[in-house]
Amino acid sequence: MRVAVDGREVEVATGATLLEAVRAVGADVPTLCFDERQMPFGACRICLVGVAGAPGPLPACTTPCREGMVIDTHDATSRRVATAIVELVLSELPVAPAAHTELARVAASLEVGEPRWRGATHPSDHDERHPYLAFQHELCISCARCVRACDEVQGAFALTATGRGFTANIAVGLDAGFLESTCVSCGACADSCPTDAITEITLLSL
Amino acid sequence: MSEDERFDSTVSTTCGYCGVGCRLEAHTRDGRVVSISPAHDGPANEGHTCLKGRFAHQFTRSRERLTTPLIRDGEGFRRASWDEAVALIVSELTRIKTTHGPDAIAGLASSRATNEDCYAMQRLIRAAIGTNNIDNCSRVCHSPTSFAMRRSFGLSGATGSFSDIDHADAAIIIGANPTEAHPVVGARIKQATLRGMRLVTIDPRQTELADYSVLHLAPRPGTNAAVVLGLAHVLVRDDLIDTNFIDQRTEGYDTLIELLHAYEPDAVESITGVAAERIEAAAHVYGEAEDACLLWGLGVTEHKYGSEVVQLICNLALLTGKVGRTGSALLPLRGQNNVQGSSDMGALPDTYTSYRSVEDDEVAASFEAAWGVPLSRRKGLKINEMFDAAVAGELKAMWIFGEDVAQTDPNVAHVTHALESLEFLVCQEIFENATSAFADVILPASAFLEKAGTFTNAERRFQLVAPAIDPPGEAKTDFEIITTISRALGHEMGWSTSAEVMNEIAALTPQYAGVSHERIGRKGLQWPVAADGTDSPMLYEHEFTLPGGRARLAALPYKPPGDAADDEFPLILITGRRLQHYNAGTMTRRTLNLELQDSDWLEIHPADAARLWIKTGDHVSIRSRVGRIETVARVTERIEPGHVFTAFHFPEIRTNLLVGSSVDVNTGCPEYKVVAVDVRPVSEEAARTPALAGI
Repeated sequence: MRVAVDGREVEVATGATLLEAVRAVGADVPTLCFDERQMPFGACRICLVGVAGAPGPLPACTTPCREGMVIDTHDATSRRVATAIVELVLSELPVAPAAHTELARVAASLEVGEPRWRGATHPSDHDERHPYLAFQHELCISCARCVRACDEVQGAFALTATGRGFTANIAVGLDAGFLESTCVSCGACADSCPTDAITEITLLSL
Repeated sequence: MSEDERFDSTVSTTCGYCGVGCRLEAHTRDGRVVSISPAHDGPANEGHTCLKGRFAHQFTRSRERLTTPLIRDGEGFRRASWDEAVALIVSELTRIKTTHGPDAIAGLASSRATNEDCYAMQRLIRAAIGTNNIDNCSRVCHSPTSFAMRRSFGLSGATGSFSDIDHADAAIIIGANPTEAHPVVGARIKQATLRGMRLVTIDPRQTELADYSVLHLAPRPGTNAAVVLGLAHVLVRDDLIDTNFIDQRTEGYDTLIELLHAYEPDAVESITGVAAERIEAAAHVYGEAEDACLLWGLGVTEHKYGSEVVQLICNLALLTGKVGRTGSALLPLRGQNNVQGSSDMGALPDTYTSYRSVEDDEVAASFEAAWGVPLSRRKGLKINEMFDAAVAGELKAMWIFGEDVAQTDPNVAHVTHALESLEFLVCQEIFENATSAFADVILPASAFLEKAGTFTNAERRFQLVAPAIDPPGEAKTDFEIITTISRALGHEMGWSTSAEVMNEIAALTPQYAGVSHERIGRKGLQWPVAADGTDSPMLYEHEFTLPGGRARLAALPYKPPGDAADDEFPLILITGRRLQHYNAGTMTRRTLNLELQDSDWLEIHPADAARLWIKTGDHVSIRSRVGRIETVARVTERIEPGHVFTAFHFPEIRTNLLVGSSVDVNTGCPEYKVVAVDVRPVSEEAARTPALAGI
């Protein structure tokens, strides 16, 4: 089928997502919960785009293309909502994300600086009992990329989303750390994490 | 340069652990590898890797690394300059060659090293020394696979790619534990089962993948042939075969049918211990699938008739026409990073590159023309024959590169005797090990993160290896060591980079005609590679690489293994890998993987444990016909009664002291997987001092 992205027409396969169409024409929208190695999840709402005729912005990663769709990656409402979401996400973190993280890059691309809202931030909660993997729970934004990496890429099923609202976070096993879980130390979670909530011990000091 | 502010550089390379061939990004800071992440465009790993590839790089900066050449000095070693070490090697090899002839010298290339290193090593042994006494450690793992696939199909390699697993409706895995030994492929198989692929596991152990299978068959060790013949019997009996495919593309069907009559499920049950109805059900899972893959590991090959069982596995695909198309592939799980390549490169006593016989005058003449020296037409010695010849006093010198034969080869007492019998032994290593203790010269070499070249993974894919860091101290790359010594021996190889070696390989090998480092790029090339660079992700779509284009169905009966349980040795020991460690443990035991697993154990079934008054944590003695070791027991129902299992990663346990001299009838691959043992509790702390039988 054919769709148009920012005025450029492109042929996509049946079942292709808006994000695939966007990337097929060489355009880009920022993503945060998306990882090409995993099934689209649609949790973060950063990849919103405008679609002609749609009542509001649509998430590009989970919305399938339809014949003749007209997609606008510069849609003002979509960018405004995405920017506000990133600002809210940042406002919960006790420190700004490190420059190399995906969250920092997304914030930079949306020109989000210091969040305007200063409320409660997540308390520091570090787990460095594993020889390689460190979990800094206060940096978790509940995008569930680690959970999906563990389930869909490795198949170790060691990670689980826990809590609700402000206390939402990720638990390893029965919340007793990597070593006491079904973790096989493959590191797929750390590789996917966009904030360094899960990272390598050796990288903490760099 | 690196895009990430934490790193000085990021280098794309290929993992040096198992044969999966994960593409990695190695990140460095201040001349050290500080992190490794998976390359998202890696064709075999697709953005994933395991705890070995990702984390176990700390060994590269171990203080125990060899940093200067060492020369024997009485009972120990002294540091020496490269000039002195090279001069000694040249004078000793020259003396032995003059006195005893070139066949008194042998070399071992390494399946851990690059294609270019292995090619250089076989050229040195053939051209600079003048003998075909060159072999590599694939001898002790997948040489039966290589032999059998050449017999059945024509080429020595997987028929497809790991991506075929994603397209298969069913799969049979025999004698392999990929979630531990090949974790990235293991994860891929597991995901496929979660999506509905019907998996059959055949293994004496209840492996992790057995939990995800629709059917798990646990045959007695050494009876794989009967199981596979039973599957073939049911495929034929229940008309699950593809008669068109058999008629048009195979030969030997009538002979096979006669043989298969005897392998009724009931008969197979009495040989293997696998219930007849489970044999029937497994055959139906495979036969009824539209597309299905066959995978196997060392549980198939490391047997007296391993090379025959691989041919019988090939039969299953031929009978059902499940080969040469997407989703229907035969995928041997190669053990080491370059097990495929080291043999492809001709580091074998009977073949040049791409398995062309040293007895073939035309082939030998092409190498003579390229190298400018006359070459021997006589086959050389296999690894096990080298040790026999050393003990017999016929082999005087060995050059062993990247293999700890005194820990990993079977019948360690015999290997040790052989090493002691040599007049001159050169070891080229990154660490001192059990083998280098017998060396006259130890050369400090480089790890995979320190060198350039290519590895060929289990999918026949050439992939680039690039140095992320420098070798420590005065250590050199294997390429530099081999070419330097060859030059000193009077044979100038004429290369300055590994890319030039590959150009020579391509020029002399029609199957790799289009291979170059530039063409390999980030995506690799799967051989055969035509001169225009077209590669071959899938083999045998239209014809097999055998005379007439037809595959050969093998009519080979079941024969009992080389060892059997008896009154004195009532249990059968199987050995294998654990997730956290890799082979001799040389690398992984020098990383924090040791924190994840710091010792080994013997797995034993509760029924056997109760009879022997053994419980988890007890120290036990394991005695075979040739040796005795001690370790700690772990009682588990994941192994069948009558069988015990342990790994071989820990030198203080030295599992291979127990393994005897039984080898595969065609290839000399040792029978690691069937060792009759006697297990009993020992009251005190394990001695950790291995003892030999009769001592």
